[in-house]
Parts: sequence; structure tokens; C-alpha cells
Amino acid sequence: MNAPISTLDARRAKAVEAFRVKGVPHRRVEEWKYSDLHAVLGADKVEQAGAAKWAVETLPRGVELFDLAAGNPPDWVQQRLGSLSNTGAMEAASLAFAKSGFALRVAKNGSGEVRVRFSGEGQARVLVVLEESAAVTLIEEADEFSGFQNIGVELVLGPNARLTQTRLTPKADQAIRICEIAASVAKDAVYRAHIADFGGKLSRTELHIGLDGAGAETHLSGVGALNDGHADVTAHVVHASGKTRSTQLFKYVAGGHARGVYQGKVTVAEGANGSDSRQTAKGLLLGNRAEIDLKPELEILADDVQCAHGAAIGDLDAESLFYLRSRGIPEAEARALLMRAFIGDAVDQIESESVRASVWQAVDAALEGLS
Amino acid sequence: MAAIETREKVAELGDKYKYGFVTDIEMERAPKGLSEDTVKYISAKKNEPGWMLEWRLGAFARWKEMREPNWARVHYPKIDYQDAYYYAAPKNTPKKQSLDEVDPKLLETYKKLGIPLHEQMALAGVAVDAVFDSVSVATTFKDKLNEAGVIFCAISEAIRDHSELVKKYLGSVVPVSDNFFATLNSAVFSDGTFVYVPKGVRCPMELSTYFRINANNTGQFERTLIIADEGAYVSYLEGCTAPKRDENQLHAAVVELIALEGAEIKYSTVQNWYPGDENGLGGIYNFVTKRGDCRGARSKISWTQVETGSAITWKYPSVILRGDDTVGEFYSIAIANHFQQADTGTKMIHLGKNTKSRIISKGISAGKAQNTYRGLVSVHPKAEKARNYTQCDSLLIGGECGAHTVPYIEARNPTARIEHEATTSKIAEDQLFYCLQRGIPQDEAVSLIVNGFCKEVLQQLPMEFAVEAQKLVSISLEGSVG
Repeated sequence: MNAPISTLDARRAKAVEAFRVKGVPHRRVEEWKYSDLHAVLGADKVEQAGAAKWAVETLPRGVELFDLAAGNPPDWVQQRLGSLSNTGAMEAASLAFAKSGFALRVAKNGSGEVRVRFSGEGQARVLVVLEESAAVTLIEEADEFSGFQNIGVELVLGPNARLTQTRLTPKADQAIRICEIAASVAKDAVYRAHIADFGGKLSRTELHIGLDGAGAETHLSGVGALNDGHADVTAHVVHASGKTRSTQLFKYVAGGHARGVYQGKVTVAEGANGSDSRQTAKGLLLGNRAEIDLKPELEILADDVQCAHGAAIGDLDAESLFYLRSRGIPEAEARALLMRAFIGDAVDQIESESVRASVWQAVDAALEGLS
Repeated sequence: MAAIETREKVAELGDKYKYGFVTDIEMERAPKGLSEDTVKYISAKKNEPGWMLEWRLGAFARWKEMREPNWARVHYPKIDYQDAYYYAAPKNTPKKQSLDEVDPKLLETYKKLGIPLHEQMALAGVAVDAVFDSVSVATTFKDKLNEAGVIFCAISEAIRDHSELVKKYLGSVVPVSDNFFATLNSAVFSDGTFVYVPKGVRCPMELSTYFRINANNTGQFERTLIIADEGAYVSYLEGCTAPKRDENQLHAAVVELIALEGAEIKYSTVQNWYPGDENGLGGIYNFVTKRGDCRGARSKISWTQVETGSAITWKYPSVILRGDDTVGEFYSIAIANHFQQADTGTKMIHLGKNTKSRIISKGISAGKAQNTYRGLVSVHPKAEKARNYTQCDSLLIGGECGAHTVPYIEARNPTARIEHEATTSKIAEDQLFYCLQRGIPQDEAVSLIVNGFCKEVLQQLPMEFAVEAQKLVSISLEGSVG
């Protein structure tokens, strides 16, 4: 994974090359089967996209921040930026062309909450380095906008580090929003992520997570409450080391012309015995024009493992609805209640109370349009 | 510990391929290579009418423009399509009137395979249309079937004698240009089976065909077409063994099933072709397109397969649920050992209202094999109240094999209900321990557990097959578990 490309410049050059060879992904590219980016975005738009604006709103003490737009990046940025690059076309594009972004470093045992806000069109690159036993909550919010935004994020978790990330993307009908997250999780470290996506013209969060040391864990969850628009979570968890654990829980509610997409792949590498992986993806389809596509995938190359996935798509349960109505609850309210319950366990994965509350607020607003 | 034993035992399996023999019979072959002339040669050999030749040539023209698919999780050296024979038939076989006239060597081959071609057949109640490298040699039970009005014959015969039916249905489920291998098959298919069950008839017996790949260097391109007219029922068994060869042999069959209103087709396969030796040398390449079309309302198509052979399996028996209230089923056991690669699964395309599908897939990997389940469940906007249940479980035996699951679930109707579950695990130590401490030897215990793992699928097989399949499951994994 860590190619012997030593300099940041070389990694960038390789990324430029990778994007130019691959171009904007279209539905004939297997990973983009359900999200045809090419249909809504030209390659020139990617190369010429400007710099997305960002602001770090809270920054705990002891956390180092470096603006990537400034020259002469320090050694730790030079070393790491682009090192988790997986040469996916859009990830390569953000490394190759992003003119803005930031890098964070949390020292050993450091902790705190970081709030980030991205706004406007363009591309950006983010690097977060957690040294041993550091613990950080990263909350990402976005403004409504229209146009194209592409953000590449690299997360490096040292031994025993804890990173909890929440990505909240509000509904934006005219936005094409792509975010690729690459994480390397060392021994005994835990990476949690929650993706709450309310849809755009095309909105996609890609996660590539390597559980690289024994005891590493990742827990992913997310909701897509869509009353139009498109939301896609594509996650690939690699159990590179044995005795690692991963869980995934994603819930979609789709009405109107919405399209909810979940593609989750779990790879257990050869010899990664003692890996444990659970994957659940469920969809509630509410509109005649809506569509939900689920593709939970397992790639297992070791034998002493426990891996399972479940997926289901359906309508609101008629019996439950009848039960509530027989108790005098009006239909619209009963429907909202059931939808809330359906989404509930995914939202409840969020540890921070305040974040959970803001996700609930957004979910409720979206459900209102659906029931 | 267990892993080491596994490896040793798996190595022993090398020479155990029971069906590895070659019958020495003079063959008549088309010139090597593939060109329009080859297609014309095959068509002429079969005395085909002009429209059939046109059809083949059309397919060949398309095929030349197509590229071999590479999305499946299988790896093999590039196939040189010009370096093979596309037609081989045992010499001196103008129509035989009775079994006595058949070359005794052929009969002996069948005996080794355990095909009950003589009186045993009556006992077993099986009518066999044995395909020996492309040409049907002997067909029995014709009378009984004739009485019921069932047409069960070689497809080359059907093209001549029932051309209206063939014209109407051939290529209507798997179009000529469906995929690379199906198109190749359309151009050069040598023979196969044709079944037509007329309106309201319940076929009086299980129909069965044994395929064998025999002559060196000849790909086999079978074509099967089964039509169940309104309210008809037919159960069809396909069993396969092939002799041991070092060169890889290509097999690209096409099977089309058509169920009209209220009809039911049950298609069962036990595939035990030569899987290659313990070093991954040789073995059959099996690139098959199988698809059923529930064309009429309330029809049902059920696929059951036990796949233990072939070096490479690329096979996705599918059902198009076109009529309202139709049912599609797929029950599969895929066992891959040594260097075998299996990429198999199904597609359930829900188009009609109240359509139901059920998928039960059991994959077992041992040795250095790679076993992939790849499936699609697609509910189209008009498929009101469609229902699907999918379960795919994988069992891993040893640390060098792989088990993969790639399900695609696409829902475009809000009243649809789709459920999918998959698990991957190894044989539980506690189950094994339980058996051992009850005095059951290890091999038997493993066979017991594996058969239990596959139970839901084995139950779906017709009786005659179930016994054979159960044995096959045990033989395929003999000693592969420590």
C-alpha cells in the first residue's frame, strides 16, 4: 500500500497521471455502477474546479494545524499526504488538483473535538494524523450549495488511537458531492464513522479502511433519508491483520425520485485469522419512482473468521402501521414513527449527544417530506 | 494442526478422479480452428435447413466483434479459439435401431459412468438421451413419452422434425448476442437436447441426459431447449462426468427454459467434470449460460445444481419472472478443491406482479480453491409485491482457499420485499468435537457436517440424484478436512 514513492511531488504527479488515464468514472466502471458521475460531470470540470473553502471552527489545544495552501509543508505532512492514496479516479483528482485543504496532527495522548465546515464548489484535501493513544472527535458539516465538490481525506491512526468522525451532508439538489476517505488503523486503534447524507444531484462518500494491526476496529454507520436526490456510500474494509473487528450498519429511506446506494466490501486478507465482520444494510422504499441498490460484498481469504452480512429492502410493515392506527395515531404520524424507528439504530451509533441531536433534527426534517 | 493434515490429505486426492479414462473410438472431426467454414461444416454435418445456417452465421459474425468477459473472479491462460476442434463425432454412427447395434466400447464407457442404459433404466424410471461427444447415440423410452405427447430428442433432430417450435423458441431466452460464450455456442453448437411438453401434460418420468466430453481438444457446445406448454410439468436431470485430460477443454453450453402459463420446469444438475489435478493442471473450463423464462402467469422454474467439478465454473442459472404470480428458485451447492475456481450464482429478474424468488447457495472451498457467489436480485417498477429471499453461506476448509460473496440487490418498487443473508465460517470445532467424542471417525464427522450444511439444497434434488449427490459431496471433500 505504501508505495515507495518518497516525495509528495511524486505522489501528486502519479495522481495526475492516474486521473488522466481513468477519467471521470461512469456506470461501466464496476464501483460506479449505480452512480454515473460521468453523466453529470465532465473531466474538464474536475481539473478546473477551484479550491473548496474550509474552516476549522473548533480546535483543541495541542492540535497542530497546517494550511495546505501555504508553502513549505512540514515533514509530517510531506511524509504522509497522499501516502494512503488508492488511485481511485476521484481520489487521485483531489490529490492532484486540490489547491486547498488542511492537515491536523494530534500528539500522543492528546484529545478533543474538531469541527470542520466545507463550503462552496471545488476540491480540497485533508490529512489527519493521530499519534499513539490520541482521541479525537471530528465533526464535518457542509453548507448547502450547488456545483461540484470533491474532498479527499486521509486518516492515520497510530496505536491505540481513537477517531470518531461524523459527516453530515444536507440536502442539496444541485450539488455533486464526492468525498473519499482513506484510513489506516494501527494496532488496538478504533475508527468510527457516521455518514448522514440527505442527497444531492449525486452525493457519494467512499471509505477505504485498512485494519492494519491486531486489535484494530472500525465501526461504520449511516443514514440516507432521501425524498429526492441521490446518496451513495461505498465502503471497503480490509482486514489486513488478524484479530480485527468491523461492523457496518446503514439505513436508507427513499421516496420521490430518490436513489439510495450502498456498496460495502469486506476483505479478509490471507492469514488474517480471528477477523470478525458484520455488515447490515437496509432500505425502506417509499416511492414508485425511487430506487435502492445494495451490494454487500465479502472477499474472504482466511478460514478462521466470522463474517456475515444481511441486506433487506421493503415497505413499511402494514401490521405495525395498523397497530399504531388502531391506537388512534393518525396515519402520517404513525408512518413517521415507524420510519424513525427504522432509522433509529443507525443514528444511535453516534456517540456524541449533540451530534446525534443534530443528525436527528436533519432526519426529522427529511422524513417530514416523506410521510 | 488441522490445516497441515488438510494439506496432506488434499494432496492424496490427486488420483481419485473416478471418471478419468479415455475411450478409444475413432472420431470424425471438423478441421481445426473457427471460421465461417467451420460453422458451415457443422451445419452441413447436421443436415440443417437453411434458416439454421443463417442463424449460426449471424451469431458467428457477432461473436467476431465481441470480447471475452473478464469480470468474473477466475483466472486462466488465454484461450486460443483457433486451436481447437469444434466438431467431433464418433465415426460410423448412422442411426442405430437398437442398443445391440451400438459400439460395445461406447456402452462400456457408459457402464463405467454408471449410466443405466439397459434394463436398470426401467427400474430407475429414467429416460436417457446420452450425448457422447456431440451426437446422440441412443435414445430410449421414446414410446412412453410419445404416448404422452412429450417430445424428447436431440436438438439436431428437432431442428429437422419440429422446426416450427425450434424457430419460435430458440434464442428467445438467451439471445444470440447475449454474451461472448453464448454467442460462440450459437454459432457452433454441435448438439444437445430438445424437450417439449404439450399443454396440460405432466411428463410421466424424469428426463435425463448425460453429457460427456471425450475426444481430445474438442470443446463441447451443447444447446438445450426445454419448453413446458400451458399447465405442463417436467423435471429434467443433467449429470456430467468427463475423462481425465491434461489440456484444458472448453465447454460453453446454453440452456434455455420456457414455462408458459401455469407450467413448471425443474432443472437439476450434478456436474462432476474433471477438475484438474492437485497442481491445477488440466481440467474443464465450464462457461455456461443457463436462463429460464417464466413467460406465462403462475409458472415456475426451479434450478438445482451440485457443482463439484471443472477447473473453472462460470455459470449463473437465472430466471426471468415475466408473468404475474410466477416463482423462481435457485438451489446450489458449489464445492471447489485444489486449484478449482468457481464463480457461480443466479439472477432473479422480477418483472411481473406477485413474483417470488428464493435463492439458497452453499459454497464450500478447500485446498487453494476460490469460490465466488455472484447474484442479482432485481425488482422492476411494475413488479408489485415481489418477494425475494436469499441465503448464501460459505464454508472454508483450510487457510489457503477463498470464499467470496457478491450480491447485487436492486429494488425499484416500494411494495417489494427483499431479504438477503450471508455468512462465512469454517467447520465449528465444537461440532467436530461432539461427533468425535461420540465415536464418529473424523472423515465421517466432516462428511456429516458438510452434508448437514448442504441439506437444504440436497433435499431439492430428485431421489435418484440425491443419493449420488450426497456421495459426491463426500468424495469431493474426502480427507480435505483435518
